[in-house]
Amino acid sequence: MIEVDQLSKSYGSTVAIEDVTFTVEPGEILGFLGPNGAGKTTTMRILTGYLPATEGTARVAGKDVHAESMAVRQSIGYLPETPPLYPEMTVEGFLHFVARIKGVAPGELAEKVTSAINRCNLQEKRTTIIRKLSKGFRQRVGIAQAIVHNPPVIVLDEPTVGLDPRQIIEVRNLIKSLAGEHTIILSTHILPEVSATCDRVTIIKRGKIVATDSPERLVQRLTGKGGYRLELRGETERALAVLSSVPGVSDAQLLSTEGLAAGHARFQVTTGAEDLGSAIAAQVVNEGLELFELSRNRASLEDVFIDLTMEEGTAAVDAETVASEKPVAESTADSTAEAAEASQKPEDSEGESSGESKGEKKDSAETAPLPVLDEEGAPTAAFFEQDRNATSQAADPQTVTESEAAAEETE
Amino acid sequence: MKIFLNNLLAIYRRELQSYFSSPFAYVIAVVFWLIGGLFLVTILLSPNGLIAQVAAADQLGVSPQPVDVPYEFLKIYLNLLGSLSMFILPMLSMGLYAEERKQGTLELLATSPLTNWVVALGKLLGVVTFYSAMLLPLLIVELVAFWSSEPTFPAAILLLGHFGLLLLAASVLALGMFISSLSDSTVLAAVMTFGVVLVLWVVDAIATSLPGPIGEALSHLSMLTHYTDFTQGIFDTSGLILFISYILLGLFLTAQSIDTLRFQRS
Repeated sequence: MIEVDQLSKSYGSTVAIEDVTFTVEPGEILGFLGPNGAGKTTTMRILTGYLPATEGTARVAGKDVHAESMAVRQSIGYLPETPPLYPEMTVEGFLHFVARIKGVAPGELAEKVTSAINRCNLQEKRTTIIRKLSKGFRQRVGIAQAIVHNPPVIVLDEPTVGLDPRQIIEVRNLIKSLAGEHTIILSTHILPEVSATCDRVTIIKRGKIVATDSPERLVQRLTGKGGYRLELRGETERALAVLSSVPGVSDAQLLSTEGLAAGHARFQVTTGAEDLGSAIAAQVVNEGLELFELSRNRASLEDVFIDLTMEEGTAAVDAETVASEKPVAESTADSTAEAAEASQKPEDSEGESSGESKGEKKDSAETAPLPVLDEEGAPTAAFFEQDRNATSQAADPQTVTESEAAAEETE
Repeated sequence: MKIFLNNLLAIYRRELQSYFSSPFAYVIAVVFWLIGGLFLVTILLSPNGLIAQVAAADQLGVSPQPVDVPYEFLKIYLNLLGSLSMFILPMLSMGLYAEERKQGTLELLATSPLTNWVVALGKLLGVVTFYSAMLLPLLIVELVAFWSSEPTFPAAILLLGHFGLLLLAASVLALGMFISSLSDSTVLAAVMTFGVVLVLWVVDAIATSLPGPIGEALSHLSMLTHYTDFTQGIFDTSGLILFISYILLGLFLTAQSIDTLRFQRS
């Protein structure tokens, strides 16, 4: 449906995008992911015919976006970063206007506008002046404006930016409901958004595409090399020997003893692809070490993103650190209650924080604006749990429960 | 062609709607009516007004020829309205594109199956219509005043004068639209339009100070000279062509400026 071939765009000497190539199949949702300023908006603007490309071609439904611009524009619905709304118009009047300039036949206007209003749940605001709408409603009008002429291709530039968590969920559901009959490109710098809505992800970094794959498979890239994290009480040397002796373990390392109760230490175990959790636990317990925590290293899309968008060299190290620090819940003897509370929440990116600070964070997570890379606050997490694509994130509480169970067994 | 008209109508209607729902446009209209009405009353009825002057001249018996008061009035009045419009029109045209750029709606227009020409033409028609609506009450007042004139004043001259005013306004608005498309600041657009219009308005004054064919050529570009012809009831095709040229130039420049905008954006 959309074929982008070696697209480049430079503004003077500044290169915005370089050799961008990707395709989108009909009915698919493609997530266009990248840090701010990576060239997402530029790519979308070229696709919609707003900007000419310096080199390369882009085709929508078989038509070149530059040479057959008018035909392409007709088959694209586009929501720019700021929804293009006329504040003095009513929702209905505005959608009528957009439908007209998008070439909807006068006889079909009313029907198309009504259907867009219904899809975006704007019935109650039908005759409201856009100026008086809240941000969430404006965003919905923006989406309605993009779908009003029922285009085969919809391009959404950061559709959930600036919305509150509930509105984000609504907008994501709306986008998902559009898939199938529409082909959608969605740009974002928010990772959970991609795993929550998209079939495929294209990661762009400094104007170049660094990866295109399904969210699951991107995650697999990093998890192919498995690993576990343990917190043990016992002699460090012996613990390392015991861990290394488990068949299939290629490496065991001491991570830290900081912030832990006396005699406790954290270890990192590197394994192959196979699941060795139970074998490691059994070995540790048999050897008389006390097991307090055992969790699987679980890469999320976030790790992939950081891995791919970091500079080469530092990337691997950083990704590993993040990966190993993520799925942690404290279950030290003195803070069991807090740990149980914390384990209700999937994870904080700061694995090292104590139970107390987690409690605080939980409160602030509901009011604080959503940070760029960490969006695992409680409200959005609830949403991921319902979602099939978000298994990698949502599975973490389970891991914690498992490790707690293991810890209880040991004691 | 049908699509073209359809699009033109959509842009035109939206533009009109935005004027008629804008409090600012009403404020401009009220100021225009107030000052326009003041001119009318002053010229006709004040102690130094036209009627008083003519009456005084008659009494003293110094005027050998009868004075055509309605005609004299129309000339003065339309010239004053033209000058007044010079201040008012930049304020009407300033938002045409600057506002769209600021709101981000230009991106909507530029990614819709519309040519820049249709958008520019629709917008120009919209703002000219609004200006005509502003003229309408004044025209009615003039008609009422001329109704009682003896002998009956030919309506054609009155209408021709106003037609000239409309042409003048459309030229100014077209140039103002182009200037508005250059930046996303409405104030800057208004000030710059006013400057440009002022230059074109008095260009014949500049032309006289320049010798040779350059000065002569410049004097033909003056809006003022050609507008004065219209107010005197002279229908001159060269004036018509000049105004239409300004309008087309404004439309062309606007379409080009929106097009180049795509290449400059960073």
